[in-house]
Amino acid sequence: MIRIESDPWAAMVAHAREAYPNECCGAMLGVIEGDKTVRVSMPLENAYAGAQATRYELRPEDLLAADKAARERQMDLIGIYHSHPDCDAYFSKTDLQNSCPWYSFVVLSIQQGEFHHANSWLPNFDQTEAAKEELIY
Amino acid sequence: MAKVLIPTPLRQFTGKQDSVVASGATVGDVLSALTTQYPDLRKQIFNDEGKLRSFVNVYLNDEDIRYIGKDAASVKDGDTLSLVPSIAGGSAVAAPPEEVTLSNDEILRYSRHLIIPEVGIEGQKKLKAAKVLLVGTGGLGAPLGLYLAAAGIGKIGLVDFDVVDFTNLQRQVIHSTKDVGRPKIDSATEKMLAINPNVRIVKHEVALTSENALDIIKDYDYVVDGTDNFPTRYLVNDACVLLNKPNIYGSIFRFEGQSTVFAYEGGPCYRCLYPEPPPPGLVPSCAEGGVLGILPGTIGLIQATETVKLILGIGEPLVGRLLLYDALGMKFRELKLRKNPECPMCGTHRTITKLIDYHQFCGVPQPAQAPPVAIGEKQESKVNEGEIDVLELKQKMDRGDNFVLIDVREPHEYKIASIPGSKLVPLGEVPKRLDEFDKNADIVIHCKSGMRSAKACAVLRQNGFQHVRNVVGGILAWSDKVDPSVPKY
Repeated sequence: MIRIESDPWAAMVAHAREAYPNECCGAMLGVIEGDKTVRVSMPLENAYAGAQATRYELRPEDLLAADKAARERQMDLIGIYHSHPDCDAYFSKTDLQNSCPWYSFVVLSIQQGEFHHANSWLPNFDQTEAAKEELIY
Repeated sequence: MAKVLIPTPLRQFTGKQDSVVASGATVGDVLSALTTQYPDLRKQIFNDEGKLRSFVNVYLNDEDIRYIGKDAASVKDGDTLSLVPSIAGGSAVAAPPEEVTLSNDEILRYSRHLIIPEVGIEGQKKLKAAKVLLVGTGGLGAPLGLYLAAAGIGKIGLVDFDVVDFTNLQRQVIHSTKDVGRPKIDSATEKMLAINPNVRIVKHEVALTSENALDIIKDYDYVVDGTDNFPTRYLVNDACVLLNKPNIYGSIFRFEGQSTVFAYEGGPCYRCLYPEPPPPGLVPSCAEGGVLGILPGTIGLIQATETVKLILGIGEPLVGRLLLYDALGMKFRELKLRKNPECPMCGTHRTITKLIDYHQFCGVPQPAQAPPVAIGEKQESKVNEGEIDVLELKQKMDRGDNFVLIDVREPHEYKIASIPGSKLVPLGEVPKRLDEFDKNADIVIHCKSGMRSAKACAVLRQNGFQHVRNVVGGILAWSDKVDPSVPKY
């Protein structure tokens, strides 16, 4: 289970609405004590070089910086979030093929510029499937 | 000795330590020492074959090891290794692929695919779930259509509005002699379904334009460019970049061909390679310059191979590499293709955000959208000032008028067919051979279809020649209207 506290959640939704009609992406920092709790969200730049309405890409160095920021706050980097503009919060083939099993992947569906629903996913090692994780926000 | 920074999720395997010191002279050695010390890390970083998992990037200090020698990159004391996952994604590829199943007949049909471990049932299902658009069913489209249908692609869209012509048969092997005069799209569909009735073929019998391209392409996963002209090539490229669809490109000329995959996962696009089209007329089409009939077979099948690889997700895609093929030397060469950060289409600061007028961009006139002309019948061509119709030319000859007829084609074309009494001066030689002609003489110039002779007329007029006329429709019109014994080519 992953729980996102209200401040980081509000920031993530605002980020996703702001990026609309493009996809946004960012990191989620928090603690793992049995369940995962997201305390801080960190917007990162969508570095995808083509059309960003249907794609996002995180720079490895940004991810390194997020990991460092988590260490400094005595937290862990526990997840990655991104938005799907005008599209459901499923874990797409593209998402799966470019994912990693170490983190929770939260997808926010933004329809017509407004938040619609969200899901969290846990990809497997072979990047062939992602299990739905209970998400509380 | 190097320090290895351990990302949060992996610290459970290193006794909660956020960094670990491991020894080794190369990156490979350090990682091997690390996973020997912490065996549970191995599964996280390496796959069953002992290769780094696809999502794991290794940085030596600030550099991605892929660019500094991979595993063999040497490590000095005090260096820091970081393990960073590569993460990307997006809604681009439609959600959970609809459940695809293979019937027993299909399993039998695709048996030689199914027994390759890299393809297998899963791969064959991916092929069946794939939607591929072929732009053009000509030289490149012919082998593409036949083999992609045979391979079991689920849905293949065809874009073409041309009809089969006798001059197509030397290379467009999807069309037969009996198909001459039929729409290419019908002839191609028939052959593809004869090979594999399981394929769903969608016919788009239109010219691809800025108005319809996005609408047609959006329903497909991959676009294969089998076009033979620059406006359509730029149109296909731009539409693919805008829609995030890989563009599997090929082109051919005489004995040479090239192929690459554009717009794949943010890789370079056609405009990164060719920001501007060549001046009109500089690069001849197959109709103008000729092509070895076998050549599109080779290039089209390279495109088909890349398409199938992308669908299966196996091998090294031809991305960021331009493959050049020279049939005469029987050599393949490869050029590195980099994404141009300044590219107006896919660069950091894009200036093109929608489809434009590609005929204007390429400096070629918009072709008339008239319905295809049946074979043997030519559209009534209008004769403007400075032009002459072939019938009038014939009358002029019969009357015994005193005039000069210049043929500006190439010598090898002259050997195929010529108009009696003409003097051969290839277009390229016209400027330096002007003194062979009298500026006040009555001059008539022809070529194959009237394009090159129009240029020659312009050169003569600029140089003070008073009476110069261009033969409308060239020797093709002569064959149609005056002397059918003159072969058309």
